[in-house]
Amino acid sequence: MNKIPILYLNSILIASIQTELTDEEVLSFQSELLTKNNNLLTKGVIIDVSTLDVIDSYMAKVLSDLTTMVKLQGSAFLLCGVKPAVSSTLVDMGMMLTKIDTFQSLEKAFNFLTSNDRKYQ
Amino acid sequence: MDKYCLNEIDSVPIKCTQDIVISRQKGRELARKSGFSVSEQTRFATAISEITRNVLTYATEGDCHLFENNLDGYHMVIAQIVDQGPGIDNPKLAMSDGYSTGHGLGLGLPGAKRLVHELNIDSTPGKTIVEIIIKRRVYG
Ligand SMILES: Nc1ncnc2c1ncn2[C@@H]1O[C@H](COP(=O)(O)OP(=O)(O)OP(=O)(O)O)[C@@H](O)[C@H]1O
Ligand SMILES: [Mg+2]
Repeated sequence: MNKIPILYLNSILIASIQTELTDEEVLSFQSELLTKNNNLLTKGVIIDVSTLDVIDSYMAKVLSDLTTMVKLQGSAFLLCGVKPAVSSTLVDMGMMLTKIDTFQSLEKAFNFLTSNDRKYQ
Repeated sequence: MDKYCLNEIDSVPIKCTQDIVISRQKGRELARKSGFSVSEQTRFATAISEITRNVLTYATEGDCHLFENNLDGYHMVIAQIVDQGPGIDNPKLAMSDGYSTGHGLGLGLPGAKRLVHELNIDSTPGKTIVEIIIKRRVYG
């Protein structure tokens, strides 16, 4: 059962991960997100992690896989709010999440997707 | 690994993935209470997450013990993750980036080592202890 609310606004799916999830919970979140994205034909998906204290290699891999899957579905995938301690931890671990488009805040990510001059189509 | 007299603060049984979350939260909280920075708390918690996940992947179950210790002017927080599984065949190889006997990226152990001040492996078939330590200098 997925316990992260997934909101739909202006053709965009938004989810904020605010509690630490078990591996199984991460996978149910992933599967619900992909199903919703497929049904709604969105412009993009934004995942906010601004209150998440730990992103370990498992979570990092799921986020990286999600990027690929959401892009294959024809939508943009944006991650926002990675805490400084989390980003330095990921780099030191050797998890280079270079293929994920990241933004400093939910607002910036949202504005990017809704503005007309964005590079995504 | 029994070189110091350790003060055990907490212990978490590792049986399911929820216990990974509990272990790292308790580790983080202990690091916070012991005066470590947010960055050090995060690194310690992430290392615990990697090593406790290995227990579920390679050994079915185990325990995560948390200790505090003062030694030679350092305050340390220690996590010992113990399991009764098959053991780590070649600890040296297991510590190299990209080495995995499973389907992982092989970043768990070497990555965790880069996040803490010390990582020690003591493994034989039937008993594996992975110990991670963060320390900070105390004055006075
Ligand atoms: N508790 C353990 N018991 C037995 N073998 C282990 C244990 N922990 C690690 N190993 C061995 O060490 C190898 C390396 O572990 P490491 O965590 O670095 O990588 P991984 O678990 O294979 O992949 P990743 O953690 O990146 O998903 C494992 O593939 C496994 O063979
Ligand atoms: Mg591992």
